[in-house]
Amino acid sequence: MRTNAEYSKLKDSNQTNYKKEKSTSFLNLLNIKKYKTEHWMILPSIIILAIISIFPFLYLIYASFMDFMISSDQPTFNGITNWKKVLINDTFWASWGRTLIFAVVGLLLEVMIGVGIALAIYELPKGRNLVVTLWMIPIFVAPIVAGLLGRFLLNSTYGLYAWLLSLVGIDVQILGDVKTALAAVILMDVWEWTPLITMIVLAGLQSLPKEPLEAAQVDGANYMQRLIKVVFPLVSRTILVALLIRSMDILRFVDTIKITTEGGPADSTKVIGFYLMEVAFKFQDFGAAAALGLTMLFATIFLGKQFVNFMTKGDE
Amino acid sequence: MAVPNHVKKTVKNTFLYTIVTLALVWALLPIVWMVMSSVKTEAGMFSMPPKFFFKPNFETFKFMFSEEGNFFSFLSNSVIASVLSTIISLVLGTLGGFALARGNFKNEKALSFWIISTRMAPIPAVILPLYLMFSNLGLIGTMPGLLFAYTTFNLPFALWMMMVFFKEVPQALEEAAMIDGCSRFQAFWRIALPPVAPGLVATGILCLMFSWNDFMFASVFSGHDTQTVPVAASLLITQNGIAWGQAMATGTVIITPMVIAGLAVRKYLVQGLSMGAVK
Repeated sequence: MRTNAEYSKLKDSNQTNYKKEKSTSFLNLLNIKKYKTEHWMILPSIIILAIISIFPFLYLIYASFMDFMISSDQPTFNGITNWKKVLINDTFWASWGRTLIFAVVGLLLEVMIGVGIALAIYELPKGRNLVVTLWMIPIFVAPIVAGLLGRFLLNSTYGLYAWLLSLVGIDVQILGDVKTALAAVILMDVWEWTPLITMIVLAGLQSLPKEPLEAAQVDGANYMQRLIKVVFPLVSRTILVALLIRSMDILRFVDTIKITTEGGPADSTKVIGFYLMEVAFKFQDFGAAAALGLTMLFATIFLGKQFVNFMTKGDE
Repeated sequence: MAVPNHVKKTVKNTFLYTIVTLALVWALLPIVWMVMSSVKTEAGMFSMPPKFFFKPNFETFKFMFSEEGNFFSFLSNSVIASVLSTIISLVLGTLGGFALARGNFKNEKALSFWIISTRMAPIPAVILPLYLMFSNLGLIGTMPGLLFAYTTFNLPFALWMMMVFFKEVPQALEEAAMIDGCSRFQAFWRIALPPVAPGLVATGILCLMFSWNDFMFASVFSGHDTQTVPVAASLLITQNGIAWGQAMATGTVIITPMVIAGLAVRKYLVQGLSMGAVK
């Protein structure tokens, strides 16, 4: 393949003078002909992204060192007070802890169920397309609707799921009980996003080379052995990518909690994103919220870096 | 082996279909229940044990779309905000995505990481400075403000998606066209763009879905005149309880167009979602 420089040389030598003049005259006027068309094409996006990412990032750093209440007119410098307020705070660490539990338990369930269903769908003799189509519908449900639904289904006096649970003798206010509320919101996330894992794994399964599997079968390996020795190593990269994406999503998970439990009861569902919203908009302490936001940003950048590494590994 | 093969096969298939059926019930029951509840009477909704068979009643929908229910204004805000932000993101994302796929930028890897990182940034963290920025610019409660907010997650997503689609188009044709006298832009427009049209549609539908489903930005940035449908749904939750009939009807209205559109582009969905971090 030719490099850019080579084909622009080719272009120059082959073009009629008329065309050449037409395509460069405007740029000549501004004396910026050294820039390629590609630079102009991406420039508007870069400007917009810079406004919406660099500015907020710098602003977060600035605000994290300021005494910055939404009500006060002028923020004043207060050193590392906000950072101390955030880092030496049980609610902060407990919120991160809950986020971690959310991520580990939620992702584990999503991967186990998601991979299981993917394998089942893959083996189906008939109706694969119909099953996939129906199975993936929860992905399109707005998270706020998922939350509303969860709240409706789990209502102890008229909820369908609460009623089903009462039939087997479980009779608690699921979203109102410290012991069950976090599990319930995790399951709402699992309900919504397990199909995504299935889709990704199914795509991986369908692109698997047939030979290693057939060879294993000829060698007399049973289904489990084939799964563990052949299938899992081949789709593990796909699963890892899916996991990274989902873990970043879980960090952003707020909508459903806002609608279902508002972080309660007794903080039992207060994940880090929701805690931040509370510090910012309920307690109106932007300085502390900024410091808190930066800790979330660092976590995301770390995860994002891993994601990009995985995605670009195959390209080189 | 003692068990004949066709018996083994039947056992296996029965097992598979049982698992798949259970999974589908788990995935679909809440949605089916929501749609059913939206056409039940108030009494029917709350009757225990739950009623699965009943005569549908469309009073809730009638009320919502009446003058008093005022649902049209929420709906039109949602449509305007999500369609416009999708168009903006698609135009800029296509141009920029092509540039990323073709241009040999210095530090290209860092550039694309930066772009995708703006998409992955936790909304709760960035919503603060954006809120302050928007309120200084007087954008809170306005449609341009909402559009701008949606662009923060749609544009990086569109850039990455389009970059991926453009990378799959062989470059040789464009080079040939440029040798024949096309400008770079003409080569992009006439040669590279047509083959990625399906990808463009898929990206558009996903952008539409992200902004249509958004609640965080809409709840913080929208004002009385620009509230979207998800915000309308949240307003049904009050201190005095929840208007469940309306909540279920609103939920049905929110998910219907996205389920239809999403299923239409499901072929591209995995590619899109694994590229752009979901939601």
